Formats: sequence, C-alpha cells, structure tokens
Amino acid sequence: MSNATVSLFPAQSAEVQQEQAVQVEGLRLKYPGEERLMFKDLSFSAARGEKVLLLGPSGCGKSTLLQVLSGMIPRATEVPMKCEAQIVPRSWGYVFQDPDTQFCMPYVDEELAFVLENLSIPRDEMKERMQAALHEVGLNLEELHLPIGHLSQGMKQRLALASALLLEPEVLFLDEPSALLDPEGREQIWDAVKSVSEGRTLIIVEHRIEEMAKYVDRVVLFSPDGVILGDGPPAAVFAKYECELKSYGIWYPGVWEDYAQTRAGRELFAPVDAYGEDLGNLLHEAALPYPLDGEPVIRLEDFKGLRWDKPVISLPSAEVYRAEFIAVVGPNGAGKSSFLLSLMGLLRAQGTYVLCGEEVVQGKARKVRKKREQQLRQIGFVFQNPELQFLTERIGDEVVYSLLVDNMPAEEAKAQADRCLERFGLSGMENRHPYQLSTGQKRRLSVATAMARQPEVLLLDEPTFGQDARNTFAILEMCERLRRTGTAILMVTHEMEIAQRVATHIWEIREGQLTSSMASPRLCTGAESRQEDDGLNRAGESYDPSSASAAHLTGVNS
Amino acid sequence: MGTSMQEKLGVQPRRGLRLSDILVTVLVSLVFGVIYHFWGSVYNLFKPLFFEADELLYGMWFAAATLAYLLIRKPGVAIIAEVAAAHVEVLFGSGWGLTLLLYGLIQGLGAELVFAAFRYRSTSAWTLVIAGAGAAIGSMMMDFYYSYTDDLQTWMFLAKYGMRVISGAVIAGLLMLLLAKALDRTGVTSLLRPASKKDYEALDDARHV
Amino acid sequence: MNIWNPVRITWLHRANPVVKLGLIFALFFMTVLTHDLDFMMYQALVFMVCLVVLSGVKPWKMLLFFIPFLLAFISSSSSMMLFGKGETLWWEWGLFRVSEESFYRGLHLGFKGIAFASEGLLLVTTTSSVDLFYSLMQKLRLAPKYAYSFMASIRLLPMVWEEFVIRRQALKVRGVRPIRGVRNMVNRAGMYVVPLLAQSIRRAHRVAAAMEAKQFNGDQVKARTYYYPSRYSRYDLLVIGLLAAAACCAYVAAGYFPWFGIGDVRFD
Repeated sequence: MSNATVSLFPAQSAEVQQEQAVQVEGLRLKYPGEERLMFKDLSFSAARGEKVLLLGPSGCGKSTLLQVLSGMIPRATEVPMKCEAQIVPRSWGYVFQDPDTQFCMPYVDEELAFVLENLSIPRDEMKERMQAALHEVGLNLEELHLPIGHLSQGMKQRLALASALLLEPEVLFLDEPSALLDPEGREQIWDAVKSVSEGRTLIIVEHRIEEMAKYVDRVVLFSPDGVILGDGPPAAVFAKYECELKSYGIWYPGVWEDYAQTRAGRELFAPVDAYGEDLGNLLHEAALPYPLDGEPVIRLEDFKGLRWDKPVISLPSAEVYRAEFIAVVGPNGAGKSSFLLSLMGLLRAQGTYVLCGEEVVQGKARKVRKKREQQLRQIGFVFQNPELQFLTERIGDEVVYSLLVDNMPAEEAKAQADRCLERFGLSGMENRHPYQLSTGQKRRLSVATAMARQPEVLLLDEPTFGQDARNTFAILEMCERLRRTGTAILMVTHEMEIAQRVATHIWEIREGQLTSSMASPRLCTGAESRQEDDGLNRAGESYDPSSASAAHLTGVNS
Repeated sequence: MGTSMQEKLGVQPRRGLRLSDILVTVLVSLVFGVIYHFWGSVYNLFKPLFFEADELLYGMWFAAATLAYLLIRKPGVAIIAEVAAAHVEVLFGSGWGLTLLLYGLIQGLGAELVFAAFRYRSTSAWTLVIAGAGAAIGSMMMDFYYSYTDDLQTWMFLAKYGMRVISGAVIAGLLMLLLAKALDRTGVTSLLRPASKKDYEALDDARHV
Repeated sequence: MNIWNPVRITWLHRANPVVKLGLIFALFFMTVLTHDLDFMMYQALVFMVCLVVLSGVKPWKMLLFFIPFLLAFISSSSSMMLFGKGETLWWEWGLFRVSEESFYRGLHLGFKGIAFASEGLLLVTTTSSVDLFYSLMQKLRLAPKYAYSFMASIRLLPMVWEEFVIRRQALKVRGVRPIRGVRNMVNRAGMYVVPLLAQSIRRAHRVAAAMEAKQFNGDQVKARTYYYPSRYSRYDLLVIGLLAAAACCAYVAAGYFPWFGIGDVRFD
C-alpha cells in the first residue's frame, strides 16, 4: 500500500491527535467508465477549526474529495468508493462553483426558506434567521423578496454562503466559489468567507489563491493523479513546490510577475512602440510596423447598438487600427458584450460603421442582410460559453468547418486545421467529442475555431474567464501571435492585468457609453501615448488602473 | 480491505427515483413543453395541406416521454415527463386547458406500459417504436371521450389514427433514439447512469493495489 | 412567479390553489359530460366572461387568450364537421361530407374547446407556480422532491431560452447557412436541441446536488415546515359560489334561451 503523503513537518503529526472535524482513511474511488482510480488509498483529515486549502491541477480530484468528505458521495451522487475509516461532520455547509446552479427557488427569501424548511424551523423564526445569515455575509438587502436573477454573480455566491450558514455548519466546504466571479465579486466572497469562518473548519478548493493564500492554516497540494504531494503551512508549501504551482496553472500571488520572467512572458508582455516596431520581438513572425497605415480597420461614428429598439451601447466616434489589442473593460451590465454583439451584426446597429474601408450596410431587407453578413465574415467572434459554439461531433472537424465555410479546399483546410490544433495543444484528440474536453481545452478549441480563419478583427467575450493561469496565458499568447500578423483584437475582460500588460489600448464602457479610451502601459512604455492622435479620447475622464491592479501585485511571492 | 461505503452507511444503491433523476426529467420535459407549445403552430400550418396531414406531426407530443426514459431508464419517468411537458403548455395558456394534463398522463402511461413490459431494460429501436405507438394509442383513448371520434367515418378514423401511430413511432420513437444517442456522445448522460457492479469490483482490483 | 403577471388581484387570486384546481377539474368534467349544444355554447360564453373579469391581466394580454381560443375552436370543430358520420347530408365534395349531425357536433366541439381553454386559463392566470406547489405539498401531500423539482426547473427554464438565443447567434457567427430539405431540417434541429439539452441535464444535475447539500430530503412530508402556509379561507367559498353560479347561469340560459334547440349532439 502506498501512502504518498509527504509530510513537510513531522510536528504536524502531533496536531493530528487533536479532535478531527473531517477525516477519511484509505480512500479508493473510481468514476464509472474511467480507466484508473481517482484516489488510491488516500488519507486526509482536518482538525476542528482548521482552515485548509486544497490545491492541484484541474482534474486531480480536489472537488471529488470535498464531496467525499461531506458525504455527498455516495449519499447524493453515486460513485463507487470505499474507505477504511471516515468521519463525516455532523453539520456542514457547501458552496459550489457556479452561481447559477445553486438555487432552486426564484426569490432570495424563498431560497433561504427552502433551507430552513429542510431543517423544520418554525415559520415565525424564518425571517429573523434569514436576515441574520444575510447580514453575516454582508448582503444587506432592503427587501428579502428579491428575484435572485437581479443579483450580481458575486452577490449570488454570498447568498449561497448565507444559505449554507443557515445549516449552522461546523465545517464549510467551498468548491471554487470565486472561480466564476469578476475581481470585485471575488474580493467580496472571500471577505464574507473570512468573516464567517470564526470557529469553523474550512475546507477550500480553489485555483485562485491570491485572496486566501495568507489566510489559511494549511495547504494541501495534489499531483495530477490524485496523490497528495505536499501538506503544511502555506509559505512552506509554496516555497517547496513553486515549480508545481506554476505548471498546475494555479493563480498564486505573483503569478504575473513570474510569468513575465519566462521567455513566453517576455514575448507576450514585450513593450509595443507606438511608432516603431514591437520591441523585443522574439517570435518568428515578422514584426509589424505600428501603426501599419493611416487606415483604420474599424471606424465608428455615432454608432449605436440596439436591443428592443433601445440603445444599449453608443460610441460617438471610435477607431481601431490593425495590430491593436484593445481591452474592453467596465462594470457588469455596462454594455461591453452588447458592444461586441453589435459590431458582429448580432444586435441591430445604427450610425456609421466602416469595416476595412467599406461601410457596413444597415437594414432589415434580405439582400442588405446578406451583404452585411458577407462583410462581417471578416470578423471572428468567440462567445463566453464554448460549448454553444461547437457544430460538429469531432474535435478534428471543428476547425475544418470554419475553414470550409471560407471556401478553402478540403485538403488544405484539413492540413491547416491540424496545424492549428497542434498550436493550441489539442492534437491527438481529433476523434473525441468537443463536449468531452476539459473546460480549458474547450475554451482553447473555441478560440482556435475563430483564429484559424485569420480574421481581420477578432472579438472575444471574456475568453479567460474562469480559466486557470496556464490556460489564460496560452490563450493570451495565441491572441498576441495573431495580433502580430496584423489582426485587430477587441477583448472584453475583467482582469486588469490583461488590460495593463497585454493590451495595447484600454477602452472603458460604463452605462452604455464609451467613457474613456487610452493607450495601455504596454504601449506607453515604448513611446508617448498615442491617445491624442486617436481622435477618440475624450478629455476629462482618465482611467486609473493602478487601484484595480494593486491588489494582485502585492502578496507573498514564493 | 475495508468494507465498502455502501454497506457501512447503510445506503443501498437505490433503484427508485432520486432527486437528480426527477429534476433532470422535469427540466428536460419543460424544455420539450416549450417545443410542444410552438409545435402547435407548425401543426396548424400542416392542416390545410391535405386532410388530417397534421396527424403526421402528432408524434412530437409524445417525445418527452420516450426521451426521458432513454435518459433516466427508470420506472415512472415517462409519465412524469409527459405531465411536466403538458404543464408548460397549460401555463402558456393553451387552448386545450387542463385537458392537456390528462392527455399527458395517459400518453405517458401508454409509453410507460410498453417500457414496463420490457422491464425497463430495453432501449432498442423496436421498443421505442412500440412505445411511441403506445403513447399514440393513449391519446386516441382520450380522444374517444373528448371528441366523439367514434362518430367519424370509419376510413377517416383509421386514416387519422393510423397516421398518428406512425408519427408516434417515428418521431417519439426513432427520432428520440437518435437524439438520445447524440446526447450520449456528448458524455453528459454518464452523470445519470448508475455505477455498475464492475465499477465497484474495480476498487478491489489487484492491479490497482 | 406568474408568467401572466396580473395587474389586478381578484378573489380568484386569493383562493387556495388546491381549491381552485379541484374546482376547475369539476368544471372540466361538467364540460366533458355536456352533450347539449346550447348548454355548451353558454358555458363557453360564461367562462369567457369570468376570465375577462377575474384573471386580472392586462387587456392586451387578454388578446393573447383569444388566439388559442380561435385555434381550439377551429381545430376541434373542423375535422368533425368535414368528416363526421351523419344521416342528413347537407353537402358532399370528394371525401368531404358535411351532414347536419356532423356540423352541429363540430360546432359543439368548437365551443367545448373554448370552454376548456377558459377554465384552464382561470387557474393559470390566477395562480403562481410556487403557490400551487406549496399548496399541493401541504394539502395533497405531494412529495417535496416532485414539487421542488418543478419549481427549480421553472426557475432554470429562462436560462435555457437565453442559451437558445446565444446558440442562434453562434451558429450565425460560425457561418452555418440556411438549408433545405427534411433531412437537413432534422440535422439543424439537432444542432439546437443537443447542446441545449446537454447543458440542461448538467445544470439540473448540479442543482440537485446543491439541494441535497442543503439537507433536502425529498420524501419528508411530515416534519417539514413551510414558508408559505396554505390555508383555506372565505375566498374559497366565494370562488366556489361564483363559479357554481356561473355554471348554473349557463344551464338556465340554455333552458330558456336556446339558440339551436337541437338538444343532444350525439343524436342517439
């Protein structure tokens, strides 16, 4: 029997004698249809009141372990497993990753009441308990009877935490609760978690650990095959397993700086000279003079995107040039996605819209629509949810399809698609169904289908959302390669690091208006800002990126 | 080696419907309910084509029953699926009112009885064809009470219900089998399948030790 | 959550959903067993009036009622009128054969359709799903696992619609062209249905896991407390009285002011 746990600190074993809140010994577990065991004789325990962070690459079984520890497996989900001994906590709460699939009722109060009903709490105590729980997580709603759909994703996660608190849990299991949140929501949920963790055992699975790394007592690092590599205080684990943290794609504090030191990072973040060439260009693609010529790829004047005949985004004037990488930032619901959709002709638009020197025709008539669709084929688009973009049942066919639509001969398309898949690290799985990829691979495939066509303009709606660091960098590298061939890129993102380090320009959208557009530090490093010449900068409002990124730049660096 | 969790916690692998089985059935059926609702307009388009040509489309209204069975493969889901789908139509304000719930019930029952006859084990094309036809016969029985169909001219009666049975067999039977297979290929249905004895045995497999 | 979103609250909204459900089923059986053409016509009329008065929805939405009414009328009546059996032949052309009996029977079915539609809408427009399922759990001992599955699924349904919209856009972006032919139509339908159902299945599965994590016991009926109590009230009596009176009105009117005067449409 192999016990792969590497105990960094023998002193820990003394603490193990403490009262255990959760424990499993000799766990074996196998998902039906999988070749190998997910866990082979794994042992894990956490003492009462301990805050434990489980780390590891995606697919290593962290979430599964959480479900085993809580007893969800096998009670709610049938997965073959056995163990020699187990302590299931008497009371526990669970917060899952996806804010949209944790609730069964339409309103905040009804959802919380659902939990209280499960515990047979008398009706007249319900309101009071709800308010207390919401208060604890910092959700101070004036009216409890509020549709859950009206809450932001970050608020939904705090509501999920509140409903877990109603169970009066000894142990809180948190399964990547911040993975699908923007930076603001991420901060809020971790603040809430910290404020409720007093006296409770916390078992956290997360690949974004900037916020929690310093807070937890203990970090447990898993290898890709479900074996515990390291177990100990955060600083010690981070120091000893720095290499693993990087290769597993974990968002540890300082990950951007470390990446910037690597060869790929230096290329990706290489300063762009506003009037000369990309500096420090190590890629084999030919360097592009910048700007290429005076002619913008996209020119907008009095441009409006409409939903139900109401303008949801308006830009008085804006221009996009070749080889620009524009980060579109702004709060949720400000109209960033609507902006991309209206550029893509998926929302009705008004005003002047010139694409590659040709005005995009507006109108509903069939002929006009056909013409417009033809014109807009020069743009590539990547939606947020990759699954909804797949058309075929084979990964190999996905990229080929994009190329065939552009009338490429079949053989050439096949060859080019193979090259494309290889670049995206997807070769060797051509025959699998796209849905059976991991989330990161799915995302890469969806980006590949749009990039393979070498569009003049590429629009991406939060392509790095919810991705681990490795995937994020891979996608950004791909975008940068494409940019260097002259494609203009517009990327909606919440990550200020991307806007600052990778993009050449930052556009900010608030309440359906382009409120500021400026060159990013990456461009500025090379030369003076080009913003005066842009003709799209409106004085008055300037964007202060330093505040947003400060949070990520600080923190321990292993 | 230690005892398996199942024995220890006294949890038997349950054969009845779990919460996730019901929830998947109901959500999928609600989606079908929306399709049913819009199918009504397609159906009405077919009406003027030639007499009772619309009956050829009738099978769509049994599709939830067979698809839910193909997904979950447990007793009861065909009935729940049809009632849930009908419930959406009622909610959207169908011209048939609450009768739809009864239609749903009896159509689901028609399919369910066929699946039960095969002991909920078979998912072959023939089983599905018969189940689709069974649902059609269920709806025919409702029609007797509802709309004096026994007073139709005999040839008309046969044509009408012949087409309906064929439609049920093709759309609810074969087409849904194709759809279920396409869903199987995506891999999501593996969430719904119970673990086999082999999977449990693999835990003690010497090769893994 | 009521998709019809009423703007006025009437007695019918205040009555217990289970009472309403029972009442509507009673009306439904009355309508099924009615074979008198005049009584049927007056039923259709009376319940339509009840619907307009009691539903409380905005007038323009009421127009939406009348579309299904028309469809119900046409689709229930046409085939019986054209292909029904009958002795007294009025008109014959090819396979169409309209007799007096089949004509009246068809008309009867048309009115029946309207009556059913009105009765159904009386319930649907005045009852939210959450109220209905809470009442069913408390008064009819419906197992919570069914009730909550329905409520959760109704909550998830709009997300499926959003995904449908995105899927349509994505197909356009990927350059999927319009196609012709039945085979291709089936293919195209599959392109929509497979991803949407795959997402739904995964989502439903996750919600079920989240519910069980909140200590939900689907078979627990007895000890369960309920946030929304389901009580009987005087509105139940009022509503029962009102709808019974409406039915009586229809019956009396059919007796005193018969339009057709042909009695039983079965002509036995």
